[in-house]
Amino acid sequence: MNKNKIIMTIIIGLICFVLVYVMFLQFKVIEQTDLTEIKTMQESELREAIASWKSKYEEANEELLSTIEKKKEYEEKINSNEEATEILEQELETANIILGKTDVKGEGVIVTLSDNDEAVITARDLIILVNELKDAGAEAISINDQRVTNMTDIADITEKNIVINSQRITSPYTVKAIGNKTYLQSALSVKNVGFIDEYINIHNKSIKLETKDNIKILKYEANERADKMVLKYIDK
Amino acid sequence: MIIVAIIVGCLLGIILGVNAPVIPYSISGYVAISIIAALDSVFGGITSTLKGNFDLKVFVSGFFGNAILSILLTYLGEKLNVDIYLAAIVVFVGRMFTNLSIIRRFYIEKWSKKTKKN
Repeated sequence: MNKNKIIMTIIIGLICFVLVYVMFLQFKVIEQTDLTEIKTMQESELREAIASWKSKYEEANEELLSTIEKKKEYEEKINSNEEATEILEQELETANIILGKTDVKGEGVIVTLSDNDEAVITARDLIILVNELKDAGAEAISINDQRVTNMTDIADITEKNIVINSQRITSPYTVKAIGNKTYLQSALSVKNVGFIDEYINIHNKSIKLETKDNIKILKYEANERADKMVLKYIDK
Repeated sequence: MIIVAIIVGCLLGIILGVNAPVIPYSISGYVAISIIAALDSVFGGITSTLKGNFDLKVFVSGFFGNAILSILLTYLGEKLNVDIYLAAIVVFVGRMFTNLSIIRRFYIEKWSKKTKKN
């Protein structure tokens, strides 16, 4: 009887211990996992959530990658555009030089032809000189500060007047040419067949040839006048 | 004597339970249902003690048997995708309330008899 009572007491104490132990274990677990989202979720739900987040991450990653690629493409395009602009600007510059729309500076020669008592300089002399200079590689030529372009007209009007770019000029004629100065000089002064021997010295015309390192040739100004004319015409 | 055993057991349980390692969250559902089953057995035991037909074997077997059975049922419910643990909780908690009301009536009767005598 007494033995039974002791056994019963021990067993009931043990059972109380087990119950309370497990209860407090559970309290602790619930307290520790008190993240509202996780608390309400089953394991399978959590797995689904993980899967969906993973796929979302992958999507976002793909988007990021494609955006980076697009950015690269745009950058390349910008670069190529810049290159194209540079090339175009260079072309424009050379075209402007050829057309005579800009002032140019550089080394070259200055040929001064002037009338004397024996002979008069004609437009033909100037045309030949200009052609000789161009053949020798002149990049820009002007006569009495009138720029010689592809459209320039050089013609006699009276014995002592020459018209160039529709402007009358008289002796002395200062022909400036920019280019390799040694080439230009030697091309003009070749013996017997050069310009100086063949056209000037035979006719006892006076010429002065000098080389310079810094020659400035002004731009062709007729264009601007023409622009103004057009503008005025449109205004009316 | 029995009350002392209960108090000592409860204190030991609190101390060890607070200091115990945390079990994984997925298991805690089973633990909860087993706690409900065990509590039901405890209240049943108290009721039978008051009625005078308390049997230790029945109490112990009910305590552990109900707990293990409820865990197994919950596991089965999870495998079948049916919330069987809800049914278990309804049954256990219902029985708990019944037992509690029996205990309450017993002590009220005892108390009213005392007041009548006085």
